[in-house]
Amino acid sequence: MPGQVRAAATRAGTGGRLAVALAGLGLLLGTLPVRALDESLEDTQVLRSAVVAVGDGPAFPAVPAPVQAVTLPDDWSVSRPGFQGTVWYRATMDFRAARLADGPATDLLALYIARACSNYQVHLNGHLVASGGRMREPVPSHCTRPQLVNLPAALLVNGRNEIDIKLVGHRLAEVGSAQRAGGLSELVVGPHATLAAHHTRQTLLTVGFAQGASATLLLMGGFMFVLGYVNRRESQLAYFGALSVGLAIFDARLWLREVPLSHRLSEFMLLVLLAFIAWAAVQFLLRSRGLRLRHADAGLPVQCALVALSLLIAGPERLHALALFWYAVFALEIGAAAVLLLRRPGGGETRWTIALLLGAATLAVLADATAVNASAEVVPGLLASAGLPLVVLFVGLRLVMHHGRARREAEASREQLERSKRELELRVRDATQEIERNMRQLADHKIEQVAERERKRIAADLHDDLGAKLLTIVHTSESDRISTLAREALEEMRLSVRGLTGRPVRLADAMGDWRAETVARLNQAGIEGEWRSPDEAPQMLSSRAYVQTTRILREATSNIIKHSGASHCSVTCATADGDFQLVIQDNGNGIAQQDVDSRLDKGHGLASMKNRAKQLQGQCLVESGPGYGTVIRLTLPLDRATSAS
Amino acid sequence: MKHILLLEDLPEIRAWMRKLVLQVFPDAVISETARIQDAMSLVATQRFDLALIDLGLPDGSGVDVVTKLRDLQPEAQSVIVTIHDDDEHLFPALQAGAFGYILKEQPREQITEQLQRISQGEPPLSPSIARRVMAYFTEKAKPQAANPMPHVSLTDRESEVLLRVAKGYTLPEIGVQLGLSRHTIADYVKQIYRKLNVSSRAEAALEAQRLGLFR
Repeated sequence: MPGQVRAAATRAGTGGRLAVALAGLGLLLGTLPVRALDESLEDTQVLRSAVVAVGDGPAFPAVPAPVQAVTLPDDWSVSRPGFQGTVWYRATMDFRAARLADGPATDLLALYIARACSNYQVHLNGHLVASGGRMREPVPSHCTRPQLVNLPAALLVNGRNEIDIKLVGHRLAEVGSAQRAGGLSELVVGPHATLAAHHTRQTLLTVGFAQGASATLLLMGGFMFVLGYVNRRESQLAYFGALSVGLAIFDARLWLREVPLSHRLSEFMLLVLLAFIAWAAVQFLLRSRGLRLRHADAGLPVQCALVALSLLIAGPERLHALALFWYAVFALEIGAAAVLLLRRPGGGETRWTIALLLGAATLAVLADATAVNASAEVVPGLLASAGLPLVVLFVGLRLVMHHGRARREAEASREQLERSKRELELRVRDATQEIERNMRQLADHKIEQVAERERKRIAADLHDDLGAKLLTIVHTSESDRISTLAREALEEMRLSVRGLTGRPVRLADAMGDWRAETVARLNQAGIEGEWRSPDEAPQMLSSRAYVQTTRILREATSNIIKHSGASHCSVTCATADGDFQLVIQDNGNGIAQQDVDSRLDKGHGLASMKNRAKQLQGQCLVESGPGYGTVIRLTLPLDRATSAS
Repeated sequence: MKHILLLEDLPEIRAWMRKLVLQVFPDAVISETARIQDAMSLVATQRFDLALIDLGLPDGSGVDVVTKLRDLQPEAQSVIVTIHDDDEHLFPALQAGAFGYILKEQPREQITEQLQRISQGEPPLSPSIARRVMAYFTEKAKPQAANPMPHVSLTDRESEVLLRVAKGYTLPEIGVQLGLSRHTIADYVKQIYRKLNVSSRAEAALEAQRLGLFR
């Protein structure tokens, strides 16, 4: 994330620098044609002096009317301040037919007027050759576009030709910008081809560019406005959209010729529009950093109303002064908003935006002020005011990019949130499962504990109660057999209790126990005992298997001691193939075959031995024969023996 | 002339034991009792050479009597006579200082022999008891943080003997295996029991100290 932010910041920085470069380049390009004009148009004649007469008639006022000599370019605010109406200019041009040496009248002459504000008519030697439209209210405005007038060869005379220009214009006081104050620029006469090319280029640069800019700003502004309107949290986009649209409409003044409103009304509306633009600009700047000033929110619309009101009150005569005043106010407001934002920490992007906008706006204002003089080419001023749309366009694109990026980031963080949520759910589920498992284990453990306690209690009871009684029988009985039986019963009881309370036993330990008991009993009975068992026996024996095997071994030993008459007995323990094998062999009399097979094997307990083995999923084989001794083979599966507890 | 204490609650068994003892020690002076309280006061007042103590008494555990006898009369031998053959019952008694144990239900001849052996200094040791003792000393051998008293440990020989007993070899067999006489092996067993007692008493003392009790 930080890397992305840093990349964005550098992109912003480079973007800002790029924009400044673009604007500068634009300006530079704009000034080029200015110089070009002076250099390349050699065949031209520049008429810089004329006589002026006030008049509204169809032709240059007749001689008795007062005339005045002026130099072109003529700025009415200078030469006739406060004048509003129609004047006639008369300029004289020398024409030599010798200039047509190259051929017949193919070399068309044309008149190039850089600025004729607001509307004009051109007469050549008394004939009307061009008209800009209606000369009455509402007056079409040609203030910002250069004019090209064909001078028909038929009307030209050798020698002195008179070019009369009827000009209707407004006084400075009644216009919002000096751009629209009455005035006439120099007149350039020359070959049509050359001047036409120049005229096309200039028109493109001013009007064409402005039209394009207006269209683009309108589109972009509309889009941004909708975007901002839909996302209430990005209200700065809506304000930017309003700014853009307002600027588009405002720039229309540069190329709209015919407006169906009276001059006063259109000037009025231009100023009010500017007030709206200022409102949108200030709000955009504030909202782009998340500032919502109550004063701004309430005051700016009021300001627009105030502007309108002030115009109405002051009247059209003081429009210019009022306009200047309000320009200053707007500039101050926007400046204040910019300062407020620049003082806030962070946001390198915004700084660039603000710098750009302010720079472009300042340029535009300055250009507007300096473009006044109807100088030879108003291009610098016009292009400066075209620079502002460029910058606004660029800022708009950046905003869209920014917005898109913000949306993407929002998506990404939402996805991440989703993922985190899922992960959290998983973890919670895992934790819950573990808790459940632990609870179960705890419960099991508790049950086990309770069971253990119960077993111990039963064992103790058995010992105390049954054991004591059996013991008494053992030691007080007259009969040996009864004593023996009681003793065996006691041992059996003990073994059973062991089975009840017992946990799995290590096979090695079991074999140790068996060995001690068996060898001791055999020795006591005078039988030579031999015991073989493996050194290593890591297996476990279930408590049940241990108890049952003990019984089997005891039974077998008892048989050998009581019935076999053997002198030698060997016991072998082994583990092989997951089984435990116990082989008891004696050299006694053996058991008769039918006794081995029969179920009622005369107290040898063979049947019970086999049963016990079967219960443990094992088997007990008896091989015996008279004179051959007896071999008892016990096989128990160890894994199942371990698990069957 | 041996002074013998007999502690057993079942009257028939007590009578039988008396008969047995007189068989082995014809000139013995026997003091009988069925209650622990009486046994305790007897131990405190009379001198005994041998005490046959039943574990499962209605009014307490015979282990207490063993402990008291060991405290007051170290030279006396106490033998546990019990039904229980499992180490859970026998081990505490051995820890308390019992010299040996006899299982009650055995035939008279065997018990007689065992008694004789005990009096000759050969205490019995079953594989399960041996395992228990081994486990006990293994536990003790582990380095413990707060154990200021030097613990008692078994010698290699003694461990060897214990191991073989656990495997089920008889004492004579062990003697043969180790190249020692049966008597020597028996001495080892006696030593082992003594160490068990000493270690257990030390442990108990430490515990009492920690709990702030006086002994």
